[in-house]
Amino acid sequence: MSRPLRKLLDKAGMAVCVLLLVSPALLFFLWMLSLSLKFEIDNGAYPPILIPERFAWKNYTTILEGNSFLLYFWNSLIVTGAATLFALLVGVPAGYGIARMRAHKSAVVIMIARMTPGLSFLIPLFLLFQWLGLLGTLWPQIIIHLVVTVPIVIWIMIGYFETTPMELEEAAMVDGATRWQIFAKVALPIAKPGIVVAFILSVIFSWNNFVFGIVLASRETRTLPVAVYNMLSFEQVSWGPLAAAALVVTLPVLILTVAAQRQIVAGLTAGAVKGG
Amino acid sequence: MASVSIRNVRKSYGPVEIIKGVSIDIQDGEFVILVGPSGCGKSTLLRMIAGLEEISGGTVAIDDRVVNDMPPKDRDIAMVFQNYALYPHMTIADNMSFALRLKNTAKSEITAKVERAAGILGLGPLLDRFPRQLSGGQRQRVAMGRAIVRDPKVFLFDEPLSNLDAKLRVQMRTEIKEMHQRLKTTTVYVTHDQIEAMTMADKIVVMHDGIIEQIGAPLDLYDHPANMFVAGFIGSPAMNFIPGSIGGDGFTTEDGSRLPLGGRVPAASDGRPAVYGVRPEHFRLADEGLAAEVVVVEPTGSETQMVLRPLGTKAGREDRKRELTWVLRERTGARPGEVVRIAPDPALAHLFNPDTGLRL
Repeated sequence: MSRPLRKLLDKAGMAVCVLLLVSPALLFFLWMLSLSLKFEIDNGAYPPILIPERFAWKNYTTILEGNSFLLYFWNSLIVTGAATLFALLVGVPAGYGIARMRAHKSAVVIMIARMTPGLSFLIPLFLLFQWLGLLGTLWPQIIIHLVVTVPIVIWIMIGYFETTPMELEEAAMVDGATRWQIFAKVALPIAKPGIVVAFILSVIFSWNNFVFGIVLASRETRTLPVAVYNMLSFEQVSWGPLAAAALVVTLPVLILTVAAQRQIVAGLTAGAVKGG
Repeated sequence: MASVSIRNVRKSYGPVEIIKGVSIDIQDGEFVILVGPSGCGKSTLLRMIAGLEEISGGTVAIDDRVVNDMPPKDRDIAMVFQNYALYPHMTIADNMSFALRLKNTAKSEITAKVERAAGILGLGPLLDRFPRQLSGGQRQRVAMGRAIVRDPKVFLFDEPLSNLDAKLRVQMRTEIKEMHQRLKTTTVYVTHDQIEAMTMADKIVVMHDGIIEQIGAPLDLYDHPANMFVAGFIGSPAMNFIPGSIGGDGFTTEDGSRLPLGGRVPAASDGRPAVYGVRPEHFRLADEGLAAEVVVVEPTGSETQMVLRPLGTKAGREDRKRELTWVLRERTGARPGEVVRIAPDPALAHLFNPDTGLRL
């Protein structure tokens, strides 16, 4: 077989494999997109229609007009933003401390907190929030999302700080930096790609969280996933607006991931040590 | 500038003692090199001077002030690491001025000092670049610049040239030496390369297994090694060791050949086992002397190295140790398989105790 042909076949094989692997996720998205653009009548058609003849843009306008969608979007933004911000404030220094002190046992404890089903935190915390009179505000959701976001941030940051060369910090130590200055001026800037990854994952997990919201949110404090769910239960199942809402909920996370991907890839440590 | 005084310093990790009581006096402005094979404790000792490693016993004093419990930032030292350890997120100028900025030095002063150091090291055009845009040699120079701008009491170098290729290493060796002659800052330099030690140091400290084998000026160590370890470690190619015994006015090798001692027979040593040490360049052709077969001839241009196998020894693995190295300035027509007779210069030969390794 000639070389160019072989190369072409290799590439084609690779493409087929990739397509097979990502197709479950991809097809699901495509179908959701298709649903969100179809009128009710097309949904039950046989054979199924992927690309409708007329686009039902009204599905989108419906959800944006009714159901206080903007309020829920705003709620989601606040809850996710605050939960992620607090998680970074706590988790980045904690990850640094654990990495430098090799306190792997405490890292495991944090992992256990992550592995415990979220529901087991819910009941005691629900009572606590009730006692504190916080129910009806966004605070309960922000606080309980930390159960998810803090461990993610800590674990990613441990891994990242462990790979930054110790010699850099020793050099800073000799240069006259205090422990805090070493963290702030050397370790932290080098760990920027790690922080970006932690940020994105924290946002994704918090944004998509459903269980905490369904229990803790009242009518005014719902986040988007809960709002979408409520569309399902209160109106009769109208697939078009539902799919549109789901897509709109997914969109911010999607955009964020795509936008920040370059940041993750950019290896900032290059040049720090030999061969870097 | 300052003196450094190391008194009976020890370091243990749990039950394992890495440094077993080491004392060194380093004068103001001196260039001292700690040299020894891997794992001899030289880097650990340097890190203890820097304050990056705790001292288990003894004292380290800089300018007569004991610094055992002083954090590195208060010791007024600068260190150059093997891996350069440049801050990857800072430009070269920022890397060099980091220490000064931590001390809130005035901007104009920082600029002046960075420019002066950059001038000394030829880094001027690179100041706005990032470390990843520099070659290995340039990065090493920045690491040195970072040390120079601080004008510290002591420079510490931890195998700074190990990551450079051979040619660059020779060039940087000269640059470091020139820098020291210019700045006259007390310097402690760690290397496992004895040539670096010989060429750069005012004083060499040879370490082995956590103890000091010998301290002295480079040529002193070369001419008067205190024991077999130093004799074998300093000098390249290494010194030849020939086991045998002292008898009459000479030395008898194990296979019965006689080697001259030049009347330097130690008292009451007749028949005593000993090791005869002779440097590769201290052999000459002689009518009587060791008869040996040429194994390998390695011309380097300026000199010729020859590996010889004394007659009576076989080519096996065990006898590899018996092989001798001969370095001669002249070119030679000798071919492998030929037999030559060589004799050592008795005035430049050494005798060692085979049990203790000490010089007789």
